[in-house]
Amino acid sequence: MTSEETTESAAPVATLDGTIWAEVDRALAGITATAERGLLDVIVHVPPAEIIRALKALKADATLNFDYLRSLTAVDNEEDGIDVVYHLYSTTAKHNLTVKATLANDNLFIDTATTVWRAANWLERETAEMFGVRFNGHPDPRTLLMPEDMDDTFPLRKDHPLAEIEVLQGEGMGYSEEDQ
Amino acid sequence: MVTESASEFETQDLLLNVGPQHPSTHGVFRMVMQVDGEVVREVIPYIGYLHRGAEKLCETMDYRQGIGFMDRTEYLAAMNAELSYVMAVETLAELEVPERAQWIRMILVELNRLASHLMFMGAFGVDVGVFGTPFIYAWREREAVIDLFEEISGDRMMYAYLRPGGLAWDVPTNFVPRVREVLTAVRQGIADFDGLLTKNEIFIARTKGVGVISAADAIDFGMSGPSIRASGVPLDVRREEPYLKYNDINWNVITRTEGDVYARYLCRLDEMRESVKIVEQCLERLQPGAIMPEKMPRMLRTPPGEIYVRTEAPRGEFGVYLVSKGGNRPHRLKVRSACLSNLQALRHMTIGSYVADALIVLGSIDIVLSEVDR
Repeated sequence: MTSEETTESAAPVATLDGTIWAEVDRALAGITATAERGLLDVIVHVPPAEIIRALKALKADATLNFDYLRSLTAVDNEEDGIDVVYHLYSTTAKHNLTVKATLANDNLFIDTATTVWRAANWLERETAEMFGVRFNGHPDPRTLLMPEDMDDTFPLRKDHPLAEIEVLQGEGMGYSEEDQ
Repeated sequence: MVTESASEFETQDLLLNVGPQHPSTHGVFRMVMQVDGEVVREVIPYIGYLHRGAEKLCETMDYRQGIGFMDRTEYLAAMNAELSYVMAVETLAELEVPERAQWIRMILVELNRLASHLMFMGAFGVDVGVFGTPFIYAWREREAVIDLFEEISGDRMMYAYLRPGGLAWDVPTNFVPRVREVLTAVRQGIADFDGLLTKNEIFIARTKGVGVISAADAIDFGMSGPSIRASGVPLDVRREEPYLKYNDINWNVITRTEGDVYARYLCRLDEMRESVKIVEQCLERLQPGAIMPEKMPRMLRTPPGEIYVRTEAPRGEFGVYLVSKGGNRPHRLKVRSACLSNLQALRHMTIGSYVADALIVLGSIDIVLSEVDR
């Protein structure tokens, strides 16, 4: 982390006392990462270009030892792009970390994490077909849950149309303003 | 094993399709096996036949309605699935769950673990070829648990009984004696299984040393639950990051070191004994009281934020990643399926084994396809 950024993000970093952020920051030397305190785990934002370097560093670090990938998924934030989210765990040190990389909508490419954990394989295939995120260098880039020919529409994106019945259900449960 | 140099005949690998409609695949799971005689050379699993878009549907409905989708995601351990979900909503909405509701939740999820493991015992017995008897035995005891759940929630599988904040309604007045009755039945069932399978020569011959996975590989594949604990990794969310009241009572994390199918079976058997122990202690600590927080908003809303809640379901870590942008419905809801990650290791565990063993390995990781495909 460079010195200007430290001053910029001074407020959130101050609340990170007592978390593993200090060690994470040390392990991510040379990578421009920022952190915030989540409800359970620390959330670290990493630039997509450096994600694999960051994940490898987090796994290789002797004290952190993030050897277990709990979950890998994405969140569609519409105009703010798509977040790829990694939930990490260490089976030896017993701590958690959430790593996020935000992809711009016109550049949905990120390197595959299968080189770090084999667990990422199916999770990335699912994220790719559901959000249209492309994982560079994925060893098996087929669809996982979707039909093989369904490669032009991404069901979990916010702009994916709902079936008529789902729209009806959504309206049916709409409460009037006073109720809310 | 037939190799090219050892054989004077020309051999050709055969592509063998298993499933998606096949009793041994425990649901709609398909795998294409490349076999050389009886030996498996390659396995290509195909999943997704049961994909219903449950995550997307949850985004279109309010928090209360999402509970039903959790039931249908993990239908053999619906209480455990509901628990992860309501805990995620509670943490985001900053709801305090009353003591009594926490103890009841703990009793219910442990009973559901028993029901789920009983289901495994029965189905796995059939996989191994002990047809009939264990299946019926398992059904008898599981029925006792399911009957109890029906009395409590009104439904045998899709309970929708947990609510963000507590429970839908209080348990019946005869709850404690009824749970004790069920525990007596289940304890007998565990003893029966122990006698029927654990020392059964055929059972041991079919399962010991089959489908071995090392601790390092299991961690790398993201396995969880009894499937990873059988490889010697004491990974149990109940112990690592205690939720509910798991810190207040005495119980043990069951691990084995062999990492084979037999170890996974023994892990589940011993875990059932631990679950009985946990429920007994919960019953002693259960006190009358409220089951919902005093001030519940009529319409549940959450401030913007995100949380990844994990609990230990019978098959492993059931995680719910909930992202809220404010309002009464999730912006994104992701279910971390233990079965998906466990199933991913299937290829690693089966290559080089016999075709008949491959099906036992599949049975031993106890998949629920509904949870895999969501």
